[in-house]
Order: sequence, then C-alpha cells, then structure tokens
Amino acid sequence: MSKNSFDPTGKLFDEFRAGRINRRQFLKLVAAMTGGTALSAVPAFAAAKNYRSVLASPLRQIEPKVLVYGASQDIATLDPFDRVDYSISAVIRQLYDRLFRFEGGWPQPIEPGLVTEWGVSDDAREWTFTLTDKAVFHDGTPVTAESVVFSYQQTLRAQKQRSSLLAGFVDEAGIVAKDSQTVVMTLKTPYASFDRLLAFLEQPIVNMEIAKANEVDGDGGGAYLIDKEAGSGPFTIKNWQIGSVYELEAVPDYWQGWPGEGRLSGVVWKKTEDAGTRKLGLLSGDFDISDTISATDIAEIDANGSTFTNVGFGLLAGYFKYNTQSGPTADPNFRKFLAYSFNRQAFSDSQQGYVKLMTGPLPEGVPGYDPNLDPQYSYDPSKAKEYLDMTEYKDGGISLDFVYVSGLDFEEAGGLILLDELQKYNITLNLVPKNWPDIVGACTAPDTGPAVAFIFDQFPPLPDTWLIEKYSSKSWDRPTGGSYQACSFYKNEEVDTLLDSLRTTTDAAANAALVAEIQSKISADVPDMPLYVNPNITGLNKRVKGFNYYGDIAVDFWRLWIDES
Amino acid sequence: MLRFLRRRLLLMIPVLLGLSVITFAVSRLVPGDPVKLAAGPQARPEQIEKLAREFGLDRPLPEQYFRYMAGLAQGNWGYSISTKREVGPDLVTFFAATLELTIVSTIIGLLIGVPLAIVSARWRDRWPDHASRFISIGTVSVPVFWIAIILQIVLAQNLKLLPVSGRFDPRATYPTVHTGMLLIDTLIGGDLQAFGTALRYMIIPAFCQSLLVIALVTRQLRGDMLDIVRKDFVLVARANGIPERTIWTRYLMKNALIATISMLGFIIGFQLGGAPLIEYVLDWPGIGQYALKAALLLDFQPIMGSTLFIGCVVVIINLITDMLYRVIDPRIGLN
Repeated sequence: MSKNSFDPTGKLFDEFRAGRINRRQFLKLVAAMTGGTALSAVPAFAAAKNYRSVLASPLRQIEPKVLVYGASQDIATLDPFDRVDYSISAVIRQLYDRLFRFEGGWPQPIEPGLVTEWGVSDDAREWTFTLTDKAVFHDGTPVTAESVVFSYQQTLRAQKQRSSLLAGFVDEAGIVAKDSQTVVMTLKTPYASFDRLLAFLEQPIVNMEIAKANEVDGDGGGAYLIDKEAGSGPFTIKNWQIGSVYELEAVPDYWQGWPGEGRLSGVVWKKTEDAGTRKLGLLSGDFDISDTISATDIAEIDANGSTFTNVGFGLLAGYFKYNTQSGPTADPNFRKFLAYSFNRQAFSDSQQGYVKLMTGPLPEGVPGYDPNLDPQYSYDPSKAKEYLDMTEYKDGGISLDFVYVSGLDFEEAGGLILLDELQKYNITLNLVPKNWPDIVGACTAPDTGPAVAFIFDQFPPLPDTWLIEKYSSKSWDRPTGGSYQACSFYKNEEVDTLLDSLRTTTDAAANAALVAEIQSKISADVPDMPLYVNPNITGLNKRVKGFNYYGDIAVDFWRLWIDES
Repeated sequence: MLRFLRRRLLLMIPVLLGLSVITFAVSRLVPGDPVKLAAGPQARPEQIEKLAREFGLDRPLPEQYFRYMAGLAQGNWGYSISTKREVGPDLVTFFAATLELTIVSTIIGLLIGVPLAIVSARWRDRWPDHASRFISIGTVSVPVFWIAIILQIVLAQNLKLLPVSGRFDPRATYPTVHTGMLLIDTLIGGDLQAFGTALRYMIIPAFCQSLLVIALVTRQLRGDMLDIVRKDFVLVARANGIPERTIWTRYLMKNALIATISMLGFIIGFQLGGAPLIEYVLDWPGIGQYALKAALLLDFQPIMGSTLFIGCVVVIINLITDMLYRVIDPRIGLN
C-alpha cells in the first residue's frame, strides 16, 4: 500500500516561498519546530491539523472585521447532499470541513483537511483515510469517521447532482468506518486519482447527529439544512434570509486555526447580479470584494486609489462544439475547415486580451495539458479552403446554426467573427441566441443538436473526467440522451476504448501517455474547437489582505483579513 | 356591496383558472428540459428519472396539471426543482419586498404627481405647465434602469450619500423580520436607527419606481381637471364666490380623481408584479426577480406559483379600485 501524509516542514517552506508567511514568522516557526523535535515532547507539528493553528494563533493582532462580498450569484441551497455551483461551494466551504482542501493556490495543490494520512492498496481499489482527532463540529462534538461515512453515503442515497461523479466510482456499501478515526472506501473499479477526485468533489462532512435528528423521509436532514448548517468549518451562519441576507460569523477557536496575520469576524454574501452594480459597490466602498468583474471595468477599478483587480484563469473553458453526427459538420473535413476559419486572435482582441486561448481539449491547470499538442487549428484561410474543397460544400450555398446563450455578448462576438469569415465561402452562419434551458434540451440528441454551439465546460482538474464526460460516446449515446458537455455527439470507437482504459490505468506514466494519445486523436477528429479559458476577474479593496487566487470565481474567506492600516 | 363583492370574488375563479391553464401550457410547451437542467450535466440516467419522478414530471401533462391544481387547492404551492425550497414561503418573502417598494413608490409618486397636475392645469400653457409636462414626459421617455444607474453613480459612488444597492446595510444587524417589509419591521422593533437605514436603502429604488406613477398621474389628472374646469358646476361655484383654491383642490380634484384612481389601480397591479430590471440593477429581492429566474431555469412550480400569485394580486387590486369609485362618487353603481 502506498501512503501519503502531510509534511508540515515542507509545507512551511512552500508557504514561505509563496509569500504567505513572512521571514520573521517563518524563522519563528522553524525554531519552534526544531525545539519541538529536539524535545520530542511537542507533537504540535506531527499532524497536519495542528500546523495551521500553531501557525496562526500567536500572530493574530488585527481586530477581526466583517467583509462584504459582492457576488454575481445567489446561493440556491446549503443542502450538503444536493448540488454544487460556485456560490454554493464558496459558502459551504466555510461552514463545513472536507477531507481535503485545494484552495492553496493555482494550479490547485491538494492539502489535507480532515485527513492526516491516507493510502491506497496496490490495485488502487481500497482507499484508507485517517482523520484528525482535533476536529470538532460547531456544537462541540468530535468529527468522527461515522460522520464522514454518513455524509458520503447520504449524498449517494440522495442521487442528486452532487453525487453524479462519485456514484461512478463507489457505492454506499463501499464506504465504511474502520474505527472512529479511519474511513475505508472500496471502489467499484480501480482509480489511481481517487484522492484528487474526493478533493474536488468537496463533500461537506455533516454532523450526523443533527442531520439524523432532522431527517424527513430519509433525506438525511437535507431539507432542514437548506438554510442551516451542521458543520465544523471556520464560519457558522449568523443570519440567513433567502434572497436578502446571507451572513456568516467566524468561529474564533476554529480547530484548524486561522492561516493569516488576522482573520475576519464575519462575511456578508451580497448577491448583486448586475456587473455594473458590483463595480460601483466596490468603488463606493460598500463592498470589500466583487467577483466576476467585467474586463471593461478593470482599468477604472485599478485607477481608483483604494481598489485593485486580480485576473486569474481557472477551469471554465469555452468550446465551439460541432455536431459530428448530423449535417455538414458530420464531415471531419468540414469541421477542420471551420476550425481553420476562426480567427482566435481577433476573438482575443475583442475581449481586450483577457482570455487564455486553448491549445487542445484540456485547459491549462489540468494534468496532461499540452501547450504543444498537434494538431492545433490556428487561423489559416488557405488551409481552411483546402479542407473545404475536400467536402461536398466547396461551393458554399449552405447555412449553419450557431447557437449561443442569449445575452452573452462574448459568445455573440465569437459567432460574429466566424460569420464574417464564412461569408467569404458563400456559407451563411445563423446566429441563434437561446436561453440556457433550450440549449441543454437541444444537446440531448444529435437530431436536435445545433451545427455549432458555443458552450462552456468546467470539471475538476482530472484529465479522465474532462475527456470522458466530453468525448466518450457513452456520455450521450444512451436512452436519456446526453448533456450539453457532450454536445459534439462525438463517437470514435478507438477513442472510446482508450477512454475506457483511462481510469483503470493506475501507472502514472502509462496514464499520462494515454491522456496524450487520446488528446491527439480527439484533436485530429475536431469534434469541437477548444477556444479559450474564461478569466475570473476579482475586484478587491486594498484593505483586504490574504487574497490567494486558486482558480475559482469566489475567494477563500478563511484566509482573509481586513487591515485598515 | 356584499353581493358585488361575492360576484367579483366568484369571477376571480375562472380568471385564475384560465391564467393557470395558459401559464402551464406555455411553461411546459417551450423547448428545454427542466429535469436535465436541474439534475446537472453529469447526471446519470437513474438520477434524471428519480428527479422527474419526485416532481411528477414523468406523468402525462394533463395529470401534471391536475395534480398541481389539487395541491394548490390545499395550499401547497409546490417546490422549486432548482432550490428544493417551498414556493409558498418564497413567494411571501419576495412579494413583501415588492409590496414595500410599491407602497413607498406610489406614495412618492402621488406626493409629486398630484401637485404637479394641479399646478399644470391651474396655470395651463404657462411656464409651470410646460415644466410639469416636461417632467412627466421626460420621466417616461428615459429607461428607468438607466436613471437608476445614474443615481447610483452620482449619489452613491461620487457623493456617497446613499448606498449603491440592496435593502439594508450589510454591516449592520439585520432587523427581526415580522412582515418582511423592513420599514414596518424596524418600527415594530422600535429601532429608529435601523428604520433610518432601511429608508436610505429605499430612496433610489422607490424614486425610480415612482417615476411611472408621477408621469401617468400628472398627465391623467391634468387632462381630467382641464375637462372638468369647463363644466357648469365650476362656473356656478365661481359665481357663488367660492375661493379659487377651494374649487381646484376640492371640487375639481374630487371629480377628476376617478379616472386617475382607475389608472393608479392598474399601475399598482403592474408594479406589484415586480420590476425585474430595477430589481436586477438595484439588487432589490422582489418577486419580479424571483419569477424571472424561475422562467430562465424553466423551474415549473415557481413559474406557476409566481404567475398565479401576481394574477391574484392584480385581480384584487382591480376589485379594490372598483370599490374606491363608489367611495369617491356614491352615484356610481357597483353594477
């Protein structure tokens, strides 16, 4: 069995190198660790759980304050077994602990949360997780393996969105508590990246006693927890009024401590859907942070003396998805013609350069990302013409639908650039704005799927998940149809076979080679044109400290503090 | 009066039934798949089937409709497929915010609109009339959300006199909710400072919402007053030496108000349906935003719930308006 454990010394160096602790703090901690080791009597750094509490406690001098966060999205639910999106996850992360954390930076490092040690059997099927004995729920009861097992099992039982990926790997019976601090998960099939998967699925660990006391019809307390919490995280709920107030309050003696020089006393999630209002809220000082800032507002926010912006790229990637089963786009040469016809640089310019153009099916940040993947489809009219001439549409005279989400001007801009180019070949591109539910419905099957759809995908940074969900024919060729992520309706039996073996290939080198091979084959077939990674633009007041970009739209409130000085 | 009330209440039933059929048909026949949307992109077939079963969306459309209506008859407004929250309490919460905004904006609209109309009619074709008409035409000619943005920039960002958006200071302790209308809740709690805070947050949205009231009241009332000022009874009143101010504010006003009240009933009903754009820009958590979001997600039961709820409100407002005619002018029969 291979084992992983948390190495506090290495972590400390990482923190220092990343600038998250200063030289003085670093030296203090090294001295403390050295002394502790010499005496062999201070186990403070022996386990991951103590690292942060020891790190943070003596340094906290700054008066905690409330941070107002201008968010582009409402928080639909706090049910820990139901679903995830950026706003739900951002808040649930603060209320509950998870087995792992990944908010340490970008690309996202896996860091222990509740686990101190974990390992996997040689066949990559049996995973063992040892939990810290320091974690406590907000009611003071300890976080035990039973609560971890309950949380995962209840998510699987509920069969809601949160369970979708997990259910492919493990079932309820496969998750057991070996003792009060040890959880064993036995997978249905081997999977070498299961720890990473668990980290990004972020299952909140729920206080089993509270959940069961409020259970209705076997929901594990899910309905009760829609606007309440039963967690052990750094914050608890102070006030929760649907649509109006979402207010969190810090747990001062949080078991894992506070990683910054200070901490927040609370957080107010201020749902503000209009981007202009979020900007004004930041500039007027009403908000301390505003997320999803428009690229056109960056200069104004940076020019204001008290605010600044952070532009980071995460895992929200936009693709032109071609319908590979129906119409002209069923012809690979026609798809290549389309891909070579699109001027990516013009698109980048239309977005003022705040885009990261993609080079292949995987975006940067996902292991296996290859900036030099071959083939890539840079704008090349002569090659476009060459491929068009290989099709039956070489004289044009056809029209295609380009479907995009109504109201998203950057998607419309993509369509306009393509439209302009296709006119040269006597091909008409109909720009069809649709509401999102219509697009989801249309992407169910090839006969309703649009010729070209501009769709954004986002998955955990696991190459198998990206490739299987988007490119395996099993993702759409089934009785209930496909999801919008598989809106290319791509079917290549060779790729399907390789994708089937991707998750069961546990050898890291062989797995990486497989990922590279699959990407090359997909790229050669052009089922879609990977276009760009969307920027996460965050506006912050300069008094907010501890900001650490980790690839998400939202910030990690646990690491922040406000310093008026 | 009671007979009138009974008849009008009975008439509400077919109106709301018709509304429910139309809303149901439109919301279920538009393209899109609410179950797939709610189940999420990686949903497994069994998840999609379970969700459809839970919300009864696996049944034939007529059965779905009758089950929904049967639930409604028992006071069950259903659940949101997106948030899993009960629709009934959500409607009450979001409607309270809209109701508060509508009440305050109507009061502001009347306080500004009625004097403007009197001034305009009294000094017809002179500068007060021109100014008044300029204001009333101007306010309806400019998009309200644009005015809201200008007010945000000037009053909130530049002058820092008012907050940019929202209902209450996020850094202050939120008032205890009794009615959902914060101005009333803060008064019930005896917290005048919180009342002041809620009032500050109300100013920009209420002013923006009141612009329509100002414009329509001014134009309608002015026109009616100018019609009535030529009537014989006004001539008689003047001949009897009744002061001009009394003629304008009592005799003319009372007779001119009937059409204005009718129109006001329409405006209030319209505003109680929510103003999604204003609510969006100013982050006012009203029923307009709630309904809009439900529509964009094809969230069937909130769509039905908000439409029927707003429908009920509009019908009730019309009923009250009709009854007010009678109060103002007893000669008007309720038939």
